[in-house]
Amino acid sequence: MTHVLVVDDDPVIADLVAFRLGRLGLDVTVENDGQAGLAAARQLHPDLIVLDWMMPRMNGLEVCAALRADADPELARTPVLLLTAKAQEPDLERGFAAGATDYVVKPFSPRELASRVTAALPPGSVLA
Amino acid sequence: MNAVPGAAMVATTALAALVVLLLLAVAGEHARRNRQVARELARRARLTPLVHDLLDGEPIDGDDALDPLLDEMVLDLLPQLRGSDRDTLTALLLERGVVDRATEELGHRAAWRRGRAVTLLGNAASPRHTPLLAELLGDPVADVRCAAARALGKTGDPAAIGPLLSALVADRPVTAGVVGMAVLDIGTPALPELRRALGAPSTVVQQMAATVLGLHGDPLASHALTTTVADPAAVPELRCAAAEALGRIGMPSATATLCAVLDAGRRPALQRAAATALGRICDPAGLDALVVGLGSPDRDVRATCAEALTASGPAGRRRLAARDSGTDATPAPRPREAQAAR
Repeated sequence: MTHVLVVDDDPVIADLVAFRLGRLGLDVTVENDGQAGLAAARQLHPDLIVLDWMMPRMNGLEVCAALRADADPELARTPVLLLTAKAQEPDLERGFAAGATDYVVKPFSPRELASRVTAALPPGSVLA
Repeated sequence: MNAVPGAAMVATTALAALVVLLLLAVAGEHARRNRQVARELARRARLTPLVHDLLDGEPIDGDDALDPLLDEMVLDLLPQLRGSDRDTLTALLLERGVVDRATEELGHRAAWRRGRAVTLLGNAASPRHTPLLAELLGDPVADVRCAAARALGKTGDPAAIGPLLSALVADRPVTAGVVGMAVLDIGTPALPELRRALGAPSTVVQQMAATVLGLHGDPLASHALTTTVADPAAVPELRCAAAEALGRIGMPSATATLCAVLDAGRRPALQRAAATALGRICDPAGLDALVVGLGSPDRDVRATCAEALTASGPAGRRRLAARDSGTDATPAPRPREAQAAR
């Protein structure tokens, strides 16, 4: 089963994203801070990570950069979708420069997010 | 003789008892609050799947459906969402009477009740409440006026632009930062109204319109903004805002006017705004003016021109390096400009 890790310090948003992705038949794990998210990614090797930017202990960009620099090449290649309220053009540039695969700005459409996750995963990963 | 130590002992004992009582009261209050938080967390955990069911269009019933916390959870969620999930939750709030109750509270005597109602209506983001929210831009309490401005921003209704801009210069004004964020929140539907506001009688309103049009990068505003920058009779702050906006819009059609303003050398703040704009536009036709600006008698203008040349890309950086090494052929500023700048 395809596994997605959702890392967001707002439990309401994290639960909502997990719910929407769960509807796609994905196995979802939720973490609420950057450090725990990075540890979970190293332990679980998810197929995709949905990552908030502004989080306590370790922000999303730091997590993203740490993932891209990881010694495990499989983990370093994991698609990362940044979900953040930082909506300015330089923010997007910083996000992609840190290694994000895609970027979704809050306020966001959970259904659009689910479509972007589907697009970033290999074909057949989600329920039709 | 023994009366004084006895009284002291009684007082000390009473004080100690009071301290113990106080500590017990504080501990009791903490325990009560912790229990309250735990109960609410448990309620939220129970209600979260219901909110998700609602998003899937499934009806909910039972006692949990009547829990007012469900409305609060939906209201917390709304500002973070857009799209069909947001529409579903907004419809739910209307159906449950939450929006109607808030509308009734808009005229409440207590300012905090008015403010809460305004915020709720903003989160519900229904344009049908625009006139009611606009009225509260004139509320006697500044916090309520600010809440009304933010709420109008969330409605996304371009009809709110007029009242928001007017609130900048009202007898009881709303601060420019709050109005600016609200106008930005409305998004691109605001652009036609903002373009019209460039011709408003108030300079403050014009300045706000110019700034937000620039942040939107609206090319259709470019001509009017260029005219404003070139107008020597316009207020300097407005000309600066227009120049900054032109830089953000990035249309090379503004280059000649910005170069002329930079070259005129009369107002350092305006020259800096023009130089920054030229650096953003990256039009090769603006490089000469920036190189000339490096010889300005004003240190900040020189520094801004250098930054703008750096931002202009490889051609700008080459010109800057050539100027530094003395190999650039651009003439130094004419004495007239240097004198005028002084």
